[in-house]
Amino acid sequence: MSPQQPVNIVMIEDDAGHARLIEKNIRRAGISNQITHFVDGGSALEFLFEHDEGPHRNGPALILLDLNLPDMSGTTILERIKASPELRRTPVVVLTTTDDKTEIDRCYDLGANVYITKPVNYESFADAIRQLGLFLSVIQVPEVEV
Amino acid sequence: MAVVAAGFFVLAVLVGLAGLSIDRSRDYTERTLRTQVLEARLSEVQTQFERAEGSRRGYLLRQEPRFLEGHQAAVSALPQAVDEVARLAGDNPRQAARLTELRSLLSARAAARDLSLRQAGSGRLDEALAGFGAADSSRDVLRIRAIVDEMRADERGVLADRAAERRRRQGTVNLVIGAAGVMLALLAIGSLWLLRRYTEDLTTSRESLRRLNFGLEDAVTARTADYQRANEEIQRFAYIVSHDLRSPLVNVMGFTSEIESGLKPLQQMLAAVDARDPTLVSQDARNTIGEDMPEAVGFIRASTARMDRLINAILRLSREGRRVLTPEPLNMQVLLDGVAANARTKAEETAATVTVQWPIPDLIGDRLSMEQVFGNLVDNALKYLQPGRAGRVVVRGREDRGRLVYEVQDNGRGIDPRDHERVFDLFRRAGVQDQPGEGIGLAHVRALVHRLGGSITLESALDQGSVFRVSLPPRPPEQETSA
Repeated sequence: MSPQQPVNIVMIEDDAGHARLIEKNIRRAGISNQITHFVDGGSALEFLFEHDEGPHRNGPALILLDLNLPDMSGTTILERIKASPELRRTPVVVLTTTDDKTEIDRCYDLGANVYITKPVNYESFADAIRQLGLFLSVIQVPEVEV
Repeated sequence: MAVVAAGFFVLAVLVGLAGLSIDRSRDYTERTLRTQVLEARLSEVQTQFERAEGSRRGYLLRQEPRFLEGHQAAVSALPQAVDEVARLAGDNPRQAARLTELRSLLSARAAARDLSLRQAGSGRLDEALAGFGAADSSRDVLRIRAIVDEMRADERGVLADRAAERRRRQGTVNLVIGAAGVMLALLAIGSLWLLRRYTEDLTTSRESLRRLNFGLEDAVTARTADYQRANEEIQRFAYIVSHDLRSPLVNVMGFTSEIESGLKPLQQMLAAVDARDPTLVSQDARNTIGEDMPEAVGFIRASTARMDRLINAILRLSREGRRVLTPEPLNMQVLLDGVAANARTKAEETAATVTVQWPIPDLIGDRLSMEQVFGNLVDNALKYLQPGRAGRVVVRGREDRGRLVYEVQDNGRGIDPRDHERVFDLFRRAGVQDQPGEGIGLAHVRALVHRLGGSITLESALDQGSVFRVSLPPRPPEQETSA
């Protein structure tokens, strides 16, 4: 992991509206890292593992993962990430509408770092994203300083 | 039963007939005996008479004293023999008449013999012999013989008549006994047949009852399985739908907020422009930015908030439906007392009372489900009181044909019979909407009761209070392992 490389945010989210809201709130929280957006699991996995710009070949990243994807379940992607020696340290933030306890437990069991329920109440949603932004800035700090 | 009674009746008749027959038979035997004795006596009479006559004749011919002795012996034996005959045949008028004649003839002969014997004894033998040859004397002897013969014949005739009668009667009796025997045999066969048929009927009906029972159980099991499958599908459906509905709702909410937050700089700008040159701002723009848009945003937010509550309710229900039940023996008295105690704070606000009537039957069930079911019912009872009437909520239970029936009765405002089905539907409520709520409680209760293999019914009329009746099996049905 080269300290010069900034953390890329990989957002896997099929709902364009959600993606936009997440991005807006991340920016509002003052985080300017590059966000790469994928609307399905297949292309996201390809980017993560195969692409030259992807974290597998190209440095640190943070993954924002929605569980309800059109082509596969988010947990499959989570499993793949946590099973990979190169990617398993990459923080994964599960950001989804499901607040089912068994689902949450399953995600943490698979190695998710943070689980955030998308609240319908917009204020809490924005809060949650800002929390996420704080979290991102914390993990970003050492790299900026170096 | 009638057959058995008839059988016993026939048997009784048979015994009676047999008794009668034996009686008659004895009668006849006695009669025969009597006839034989009578015949013997008649013979005796005749013998003794002939002997007396013979002895006299001998004496008259030879004058030997042994003839006199023989005559004397015969004469002394004769009356006893005649008396015997009279005793035996005196009840027959014909024989009695003959007997009278016989007696007079005998005594006439005795007198004649005595006379001739005395004449012979005193040496007047020719006189005696003259009397001996008298015509009337031989006529009397012949007559006596004839009478004895007649009497013997008469007696034999009577006996023959009796024998014929007896044979005839015996024939009848035999016929009756035979018929009765045949009848008895028929009855026995009939009884056996009936018994067999009854037994067969009984076996058949027991078998069909067993089959029916099994069929019923199968039907119940099948229906329960169907119901559980349908229920699971609904749960899954509800879960998916509520999740998929949530996604767009996040957008609606999120972008409404974007618009709302975008309105603020717009309004500030408008105010700034207004302050510099009011003619630059049209009235339309002022209305739109100042009133219409904030109002629209307000409505959207209220609606999305409500939709969010409803979706959450569905989610909660579906989650409840997917929860694995853990049946355990429940002390319902304690459980319901707990429910009542929880409701008491709320009850005290309106001076209402909640009582649990003892005794309450126990069952095996899921504790949380039972608490939710009765908690909801008691809450509802306290929620929809009749204004002006102190609330009285009674919880009771009883066992009814293998099921446990629990009732929550109140004296509240009641539910219109037209709404009895409706109140159990999700998001549906009844009556005046003066209480907060989403119309979820009873839907939840019914889903829980169904999951526990029970049913819930409602008895109520407006202003008459309500009785919610929960009928549960002693233990919940086997759960299908739901994914």
